[in-house]
Amino acid sequence: MDAYLISVFTFIGFWIILAMSLNLLVGYAGQVSIGHAAFFGIGAYTSAVATVKFGVGFPLDLILATVLAGVLGGVLGLPALRVRHDFLVLATMGINFIVVAILLYTPAFGGAYGIVGIPPITIAGVEFLGLSMLLLVYGFVGVLFILKVLLLKSWFGFRLVAIRDDEEAAAAIGINVASTKIWAFVLSCSVAGLAGSLYARQLGSVYPDNFGFVESVTILAMVVLGGSGTLIGPVIGAVILGGLPEYLRFLQEWRYVLYGVILALLMIFERDGLFGPKSRLRLALVRWRHARHRVRP
Amino acid sequence: MSKSLLKVDGLSKDFGGLKALDAVSLHLDRHEILGLIGPNGAGKSTLFNCLSGQLSSNAGRIEFSGRDVTRMRASQRARLGIGRTFQLGKVFSSMTVRENVLAGFGVGAYGSFWRSISGLITRPELTESVDRIMEQFDLQMYHDSPVTDLPMGIQRRVEAVRAMATDPTLLLLDEPAAGLTHGEAEEFASIVRRVRDDGVTIIVIEHNMHFAMELAERMYVLVQGRIIAEGPPEVIRKDSDVISAYLG
Amino acid sequence: MGVTLANIVVTGCLYTLLAIGLTMVYGMLRVLHIAHAAVFAVGAMVGLFVFQAVPFGLWLAILLAMLASGLMGVAIYHVGYRWVLDAPRGTPLIVSIGIFIAVQALLERPFLLGPQASSFDASPDLPALALGGFGFTPIQTTIVLSTGAVGAGVWYLLSRTRLGLSWRALSEDINMARSLGVATQNAVALNMFLGSAMAGLAGVLIAVYENSVSAYMGEVVAYKAFVIVVLGGLGSVLGAAVAAFTLAAVEIGIATVFGGLFPRNAIGFAVLILILLFAPTGLFGKRLD
Repeated sequence: MDAYLISVFTFIGFWIILAMSLNLLVGYAGQVSIGHAAFFGIGAYTSAVATVKFGVGFPLDLILATVLAGVLGGVLGLPALRVRHDFLVLATMGINFIVVAILLYTPAFGGAYGIVGIPPITIAGVEFLGLSMLLLVYGFVGVLFILKVLLLKSWFGFRLVAIRDDEEAAAAIGINVASTKIWAFVLSCSVAGLAGSLYARQLGSVYPDNFGFVESVTILAMVVLGGSGTLIGPVIGAVILGGLPEYLRFLQEWRYVLYGVILALLMIFERDGLFGPKSRLRLALVRWRHARHRVRP
Repeated sequence: MSKSLLKVDGLSKDFGGLKALDAVSLHLDRHEILGLIGPNGAGKSTLFNCLSGQLSSNAGRIEFSGRDVTRMRASQRARLGIGRTFQLGKVFSSMTVRENVLAGFGVGAYGSFWRSISGLITRPELTESVDRIMEQFDLQMYHDSPVTDLPMGIQRRVEAVRAMATDPTLLLLDEPAAGLTHGEAEEFASIVRRVRDDGVTIIVIEHNMHFAMELAERMYVLVQGRIIAEGPPEVIRKDSDVISAYLG
Repeated sequence: MGVTLANIVVTGCLYTLLAIGLTMVYGMLRVLHIAHAAVFAVGAMVGLFVFQAVPFGLWLAILLAMLASGLMGVAIYHVGYRWVLDAPRGTPLIVSIGIFIAVQALLERPFLLGPQASSFDASPDLPALALGGFGFTPIQTTIVLSTGAVGAGVWYLLSRTRLGLSWRALSEDINMARSLGVATQNAVALNMFLGSAMAGLAGVLIAVYENSVSAYMGEVVAYKAFVIVVLGGLGSVLGAAVAAFTLAAVEIGIATVFGGLFPRNAIGFAVLILILLFAPTGLFGKRLD
């Protein structure tokens, strides 16, 4: 396979992981965040600093990135509980800007020049680049997807759905709403950090620019477009929006004009997301399943 | 175990300049069915919200089972044994009847985060408890129906059964007969009596005077945030203050 | 010191213009109207083109910029927001983002603004006024006066006219007001038009003040406008003005004291987050749930 295509698919893999993790926060815990890229960046920079400056190897740098992003996510969760919807959007936007500013202005992080020379992941002497890295990333995608399914089937997942349906009623039956939401932040942001670590190792360099408002907004768009609060929605959203700039390559510099238009139109066309609860695609899927069952004796 | 289950002293709640509750005091003994009535806007739901923890009061003290719960969060009070239903009937709309009831059972039991992620919700002993309580309250035929597909009366019942599943000592029912037909209200009343006989103490808010008087053994009348009368239904019915409050 | 004060006042005025427009739109539609920044940039661009085509035509440029922005706002409502007003919250936000991305990419095209910044030197055209002893330059004077005029106009409109009353009714609950028979579509369109026209005005004035127009100028102000709107209380015009000046004062104050140690952009957000922690409803607003 062409090296360029491998790279594109690897990046789509990162988007999928990011969208899945944001979906936990937005679609299940009901916390709208447009600052998710900040945790992506925290994970990336953690791995960068750990490998370049301290010679840390895989999987320790990945673990550090994941844990740090998770802890900071929990810290973010605390004040987030006090503010409502639109305020929360702004606050998470602000966190994103602040994190990028810190990355940009702290000399140890290389400022605008970022950190370069990040070694690829090496396991037992084998370097993970190109195709092998692609497979590793999608390995993570698969494992995380399964973990997400299990999480949603657990009592924790049940609590999230209860909170999403009716927060007051959830509290009235003994669910500690605040604690559940904070754990949602921790889980969601730690996975974003994990994606960041893999991203840093794939790209070999990190710059503050790559973890800003535009990226956060893109991740949210993937979640909402695919259908927030569903399992497959964010995956579809990530594949579509992550791949769209490539599909539109032939348009050269007009790419993003059409990208924006398509995004807006798709959202208007299917307001709950492409795989949302009442979407045409989901209804078709349900009908197809019923048809299959009817065929069987 | 003392007979007094709930003691409220001088409870006050303001909203901006509006005094919703003005030094409300009441007491509740175990196994009572207490009725709380009053005209619209009297503050009945506000009182419930302060008791269950959805709202925090500005002054006063709430003692439940000998413990001061005034500053406790709603979820803490729920775990201590205060269960409730809501005036608008808050069921979990994306779930089936069964799942709603299951929620009542499991969530408190699997407290900390770590325990909650380790358990899948198909544990057999819970399945039994859910089936049992659904049979007890005639909900078994609605098993896997999405709860929002069902008539209001059934939804109300599901909400109450969900609250029962948390094994409460005190159950607060907020306008349970609202929107129910006469027959449905009668059914609900017999359920309430059954629940009390099982050992649960109950406070009912009711706007429907007839339903309240049939059900309650003792009543408080709340008007504009103040208790103006207390006593058994026969006495309240004849109280001139109460009558003028409702008519005046 | 005088220079800094003038700077703060002028920056506050510019932020106010930007925020009032957004407050009007957000207050009514409850959409996080990120595309407001695109309208802002388009206004600056139209202003530039008109000015380049018609020498000494700054006032014409401003007028046409406001017209273009206003119409663009209405178009955005009719093409985009109208269909998703009662959709789940994330949907209108993403529609707005899509529009913003498309417009910004369009402005980048060489036949429009191209990727480089252009200059917008309108100094010969400005009134030779200087306010008081603070030594406001002509452009600063223009800005302050325009903001004053616009602010007064909006206040009058909202509190003294029937249109303003219907807007306030609409902002309480757009669905309910619809059923009460308010001429909804027209009122909303007019609201969008005026709010967007103000963004256009802000665009031209900022472009002249900083002598620069770029396709990306929207991105920088997008979030600042939101910071101000949220701080000001989500729907309160007066609150937005107060918040705008507060932000300007804090930004410039910190920049003067700390130099380049912390970027101006992040400061606004740090202030926002601190305020949200201590006053979850912003400075003036009603409690939003």
